[in-house]
Amino acid sequence: MADHHVVIDNLVKTYPGAQKPSVDHVSFSLPRGEMLALLGPSGCGKTTILRMIAGLIAPTSGAIRLEGKDVSSIAVYKRNMGMVFQAYALFPHMTVAQNISFGLEMRKVGRAEREERVRKALDLVKLTGLGDRKVSQLSGGQQQRAAIARSLVIEPELLLLDEPLSNLDAKLRDEMRDEIRDIQARTGVTAIFVTHDQDEALSMADRLAVMSAGRLEQVGTPREIFDRPQTEFVASFIGAGTFFEGQVAEPGLAVVEGLKSLRFVGEAPVGSTVKLMIRPHRLVLADSAGQPNSFTGTVEHIVYRGQILTLNIRCGGRLLQADLPTHAGVLPEKGDEVTLAVAAQDVTLVGQVAP
Amino acid sequence: MQSNPLLGRFAWNTLIALLYLFLLAPIIVVFIISFDTRQYLAFPPESFSFGSYVKVFQNVKFISAFWRSLIIGAIVGLVAVSAGMLLSLSLVRHHFRGKAAVNFLILAPFLVPHIVLAVGIMLVIAPLGLLDSYPGIVLAHLGITIPYTVRTITMSLMAVDTRIEEAALVHGASPRMVFWRITLPLVRPGLIAGGVIAFLISFDEATISLFIVSVKASTLPTEIYHYLEYSTDPQIAALSVVLILISVGVVMVVEKLIGLRKAL
Repeated sequence: MADHHVVIDNLVKTYPGAQKPSVDHVSFSLPRGEMLALLGPSGCGKTTILRMIAGLIAPTSGAIRLEGKDVSSIAVYKRNMGMVFQAYALFPHMTVAQNISFGLEMRKVGRAEREERVRKALDLVKLTGLGDRKVSQLSGGQQQRAAIARSLVIEPELLLLDEPLSNLDAKLRDEMRDEIRDIQARTGVTAIFVTHDQDEALSMADRLAVMSAGRLEQVGTPREIFDRPQTEFVASFIGAGTFFEGQVAEPGLAVVEGLKSLRFVGEAPVGSTVKLMIRPHRLVLADSAGQPNSFTGTVEHIVYRGQILTLNIRCGGRLLQADLPTHAGVLPEKGDEVTLAVAAQDVTLVGQVAP
Repeated sequence: MQSNPLLGRFAWNTLIALLYLFLLAPIIVVFIISFDTRQYLAFPPESFSFGSYVKVFQNVKFISAFWRSLIIGAIVGLVAVSAGMLLSLSLVRHHFRGKAAVNFLILAPFLVPHIVLAVGIMLVIAPLGLLDSYPGIVLAHLGITIPYTVRTITMSLMAVDTRIEEAALVHGASPRMVFWRITLPLVRPGLIAGGVIAFLISFDEATISLFIVSVKASTLPTEIYHYLEYSTDPQIAALSVVLILISVGVVMVVEKLIGLRKAL
């Protein structure tokens, strides 16, 4: 971790007059070439972190290290960052080429080299030949590409993207998602992007840092975050799930009120109260009610969604959500009594309740 | 009763034509009188000539006052735009104590009658020894033109997205470079509009100038006023036509440069 390219170390931002810090002792790091998503609901402090890394606002305390060197006191215009703004923030009085060339001019790069690098940047983002256009003549997607080119042409230490896809319509969003990922992979630039969209984060990032109310909840790969959420917030913010509270009777076995006992994976002391979570697609139809980790209940609600069938099952006074593949043989109907089972490794320990 | 659309259109067009005639009548009358050969102002003229125009261009007092007014107007325009830019930046981009008070102070000259301002300005600059001097008249005109430049520049500045300036900062521009390369070009319409308005106000202003200047720094409007005190001949009408043409010329140049609708 110490030799990582980018290290965010105990970053705190408290705005003057605010009671609580907007960013509260956040630490994470990225190896070179990684793409990390800062994910969280609006107001969780993710954009504040991005702006502190860029140098647009000063942290209250903590360090931002690039290659081991703290840059948090270096002026924004000397940090060598690339940043793609939410509404792109292209310079409206310049052509596309002038926009891209701007950072190079500020770095006193010679004209011939500038022109060459701008041409390459335009090629990279597939805007070849559009350099002489005015910004207002570009479509939303093209403006996005121009903004990315403007940031990458300076060969930044770090590429920062603030909600890069939020201003695009749904079809373009999918296209740009792959495009950004592809450009990042080809250039090998280390990148951090901010988003509130879990699909975007899961599909684009190498790793995710999930935030809530100024605090970092969990950092991990998309699979770790989705399959092994460590906190209740992460479990409920990303994907759906049914939550249980239970007493640990023996290691890896909890007694849940109104149900039988549940086997789970994770360390929790005997006698403590734990929070457990089951993802809807981890539940499978079982033959007999006798199996461990099985639930028997009545189907209360059914939604057919093409590839999957979403069931709400009333079971021991609580509602259980299950997603079944529609090719799974005979499908239950509303009012049927069904038995569902789940493997112990798919029952996730998401937290302990203080005694 | 059925309305006749043709008749309604005709009535409407007539009304518009009459309104324009009413607005333009003084200018039309002045234009016609300026060609009169008699030595007093009367309408309609009996015979026509360019005599008055020739006299105006030979009138040393008018010509030298014209150049003075031009120089004063140009200086006032430049200084008012610079001061307006700085004031707008602090008012739009910064928060400080007493901002509301500063805002009010800047707009106060709009609310006070010029004659009152004139007396006040005179009482202030007289002890400084600035009466009848270029600095004196420039200062006086700045007082009444800066509110306009602050207005036009503030409007332009508020339309500039601060994230555009942030993007320039992040990509390597120092705050000074951001100002010259981003902010200033983006508020250009406000700068030009403010500068033109300040110039025209200074060039036209008579009330305050009459209190400040007498001989050395007399402006064209004060010369016209003094001339009218003793004589009323078509020279004044001819001079008025020249001034109107200059104003129209300035407006047309601005229209060509940025488009008036964008500027005002």
